[in-house]
Amino acid sequence: MASFDLKDKTAIAGAGSSPFGRKLHRSPIDLAAEAIANALDDAGLGRDQLDGMIVSFGSPLGADVDTIAPLLGLKLRAYSQTWAHGRFTASCIQWASMMVCAGLANAVACLGSWSLSHIRRPKFGGAGDREGAREAGGGHGEDPVFGMTSPGAGAALVARRYFERYGANSRQLASVPVAFRKHAALNPNAIMRAPITVDDHQASRLVCEPLRLLDYCLVNDGAACVIVTTAERARDLRKPPVYISGMQPLPGGAEEFIWSYPGLGVAQQSVFDYDAGVQPVYRMAGVTHKDIDALFTYDAFSILAWIALERFGFCKPGEAAAFTQDGRIELGGELPMNTNGGLLSEGHILGWAHQVEIVRQLRGECGPRQIRGAEVIQWANCYGDSMIYRN
Amino acid sequence: MAQYLKPLPTITPLNQPYWDSLRRHELRMQRCDKCARVWYPPSPLCPRCWSRQFSWTPLSGRGRVSSWVVFHQPYFKGFESEIPYNVAEVELDEGPRLMTNLVGIANHDIRAGMRVEVVYDDVTADLTLARFKPSTS
Repeated sequence: MASFDLKDKTAIAGAGSSPFGRKLHRSPIDLAAEAIANALDDAGLGRDQLDGMIVSFGSPLGADVDTIAPLLGLKLRAYSQTWAHGRFTASCIQWASMMVCAGLANAVACLGSWSLSHIRRPKFGGAGDREGAREAGGGHGEDPVFGMTSPGAGAALVARRYFERYGANSRQLASVPVAFRKHAALNPNAIMRAPITVDDHQASRLVCEPLRLLDYCLVNDGAACVIVTTAERARDLRKPPVYISGMQPLPGGAEEFIWSYPGLGVAQQSVFDYDAGVQPVYRMAGVTHKDIDALFTYDAFSILAWIALERFGFCKPGEAAAFTQDGRIELGGELPMNTNGGLLSEGHILGWAHQVEIVRQLRGECGPRQIRGAEVIQWANCYGDSMIYRN
Repeated sequence: MAQYLKPLPTITPLNQPYWDSLRRHELRMQRCDKCARVWYPPSPLCPRCWSRQFSWTPLSGRGRVSSWVVFHQPYFKGFESEIPYNVAEVELDEGPRLMTNLVGIANHDIRAGMRVEVVYDDVTADLTLARFKPSTS
């Protein structure tokens, strides 16, 4: 990083979202427009000052950047978009940081939107599994010929592998959705706020065994957006900057399977004892695990939280089952996770609502779910990418 | 033969030899002529040494269950009557893992590491699938 060190050089200047809901019956472009407008307003920026945009996901379920821009009367100098996966949140923010540092844009809206109101059940997998029909198969292990379909089935495959290798079980896994639901109960924007217990989890129906309904995230409508600009510009705007201190990009290759860390032995991964070591994101930000006041992660399925904890070295392989017990990942615990309620309870906004929550936590705007004295918050995912933010 | 309602594979020039071999009741995968690596899914070159010199080599058809799931929610019409059905990841003795269904065993008897062997399932006149059954060797 010597020649292009981005530590604390860029910041999130604004964050905003649309309402989240199961049946909003609003179009993705409409939801995206609301999130962008709210994020710009939060930053104190006018739409004429927005000159860059990076969208994750996009059509057919979400809005694409090349339709958002003209319909909102924007004039963008630079834009980009990922394909329709939830794994690109950090990537978008990282690219936006590089863009503003390189002078390719001054302020970049990073966002995702989608609307599933009009899709009949099941919404993922089955006859509409375009990904499973892809050459060489789906990115979550989809192989429809054998009935293997949907992202959740790939997570179930990882969960079974994990359970068998480390002797963990579904009852222990319940600690993740139970914790996040407690957080959602404190979040007026969350879709699912009624408390759940471990027994509720165990009584919920099996979807793809060993995963149950309460191991699965919500399927909903919504959009969320953050505005990335240089730290220097951000300091002159409406709200205190949330600095981007550390970045770790998304790794790829034969040793990677989206929901697993290297060595677990899913898909074509080798089998070995994974050692997180010191992940690059901590070196870049100049912090250690002890400095992390909260951890946010892509929790499309409960098992992903365990994988992320081990992948980033919060605990050793096989230890997350014990680590997540006894309130450790709840507000007031040693490492609060997903204080918004996550994809499991707040709503699935493709990882973008997590970024909005991180910004609000670091500004002290979270009311009853505020982490006291939060200074450093990490976004770190089972698939290996990460951001470290500070105030 | 009754109409086949389950999803069909996406056959491309790259994986055609795999599906052709199954129709002959052989399990063949690409084996690198240079470094002897066997890999799956089919790739245009050896993922280890990048040699394009490879042979579609017959495999033992034996391996172990590395992980598995059981579908309780219907997704595909063609699989609805089989719910709850299993999907397993089998690690072949030659190295690659593939997705499959285990036959000849109840879902609750499936165990990680159990030995399995290939069963050639002629599901249509043109399509044979590699399913696996418990094996004693």
